[in-house]
Amino acid sequence: MKTLVLIPAYNEDKKIGDVVSDVKSKGIDVLVVDDGSMDQTSSISLKKGAIVLKHKINRGQGAAIATGIEYAKRNHYEVVVFFDADGQMKSEEIRKLIDPVIKNESEVVLGSRFLGLAKNIPISKLLVLKLAILFTRLTTGLKLTDTHNGFQAWSMLALDKINLTQDRQAYASELLQEISENNIKYKEVPVTIEYTDYSKQKGQSIFNAINIVFNLLIKK
Amino acid sequence: MPIQFILVILIILAVLRLLYQLKNKNIGFNQFFTWLVIWLVAIVIISQPKITTYLATIVGIGRGVDLAIYVSIIVIFYLMFRLLLRIEKIEKDITKIVRTDSLKKNNDHENKH
Repeated sequence: MKTLVLIPAYNEDKKIGDVVSDVKSKGIDVLVVDDGSMDQTSSISLKKGAIVLKHKINRGQGAAIATGIEYAKRNHYEVVVFFDADGQMKSEEIRKLIDPVIKNESEVVLGSRFLGLAKNIPISKLLVLKLAILFTRLTTGLKLTDTHNGFQAWSMLALDKINLTQDRQAYASELLQEISENNIKYKEVPVTIEYTDYSKQKGQSIFNAINIVFNLLIKK
Repeated sequence: MPIQFILVILIILAVLRLLYQLKNKNIGFNQFFTWLVIWLVAIVIISQPKITTYLATIVGIGRGVDLAIYVSIIVIFYLMFRLLLRIEKIEKDITKIVRTDSLKKNNDHENKH
């Protein structure tokens, strides 16, 4: 099946080169959506063989993901894998996510760091994620072991069913709401997320959780 | 009272500014008319504050000034809500433009090669 690894990136020139090379070495197409970076993210990604789309101004991770999905639709990809630009995910595990989609066992495969391994996870992050799991259970009824994990594989048939409206971080919750509302067949697989000093510094502030909940409630 | 005089002057300035915006076509006639009515009601209330006391007793609030404050807060919240919706729509439109532009650039680039 024609597969695309979609990497939204904002000012990630320190890591993006290694991440693109790593995924490309698995023989999969890589699309980097540069979300208005002011550094060399685009040029490095291009040099390493990625397809690059550049947002002229920063619109948020959700907007970058939606741009990538649109590209995948136009270019007839059948599976899209969401992957982070900061090197905290393992490219060896991509196969584990796309296999159930290819075998038609599920339409969406969600990575779970709590079934797998969350290496060096800061305690504050752990707490917020556990609360997010509870929030997801209450708002969508999905009984997940992890939420806001950006490592996911989607079949194009499933992507055709959903409508992403959240430009910023709240898109992660919106994806889950769409899975629930459209009765999309999903499964979780264990993945490893490794928190490094770099990814912790680049990652979301835990206070952003308040913003996310506000956006979900107000902007729907 | 001097405060009434000052407020009326400020409102007249606001109405003049409103007229200027209409003349330069920055606002439509409906928007102009809505704001004009709001300001005219404000002038009537400021010059005849007893009206609010009368209205206040009708709706069961003791003082006229309290009624004026309650109504103002409701109007401000409504306008804020409208603004929020408008900003949200603009944000979505900007994203659409940025997305279309990035996809088009990539298309042009691929066609060249």
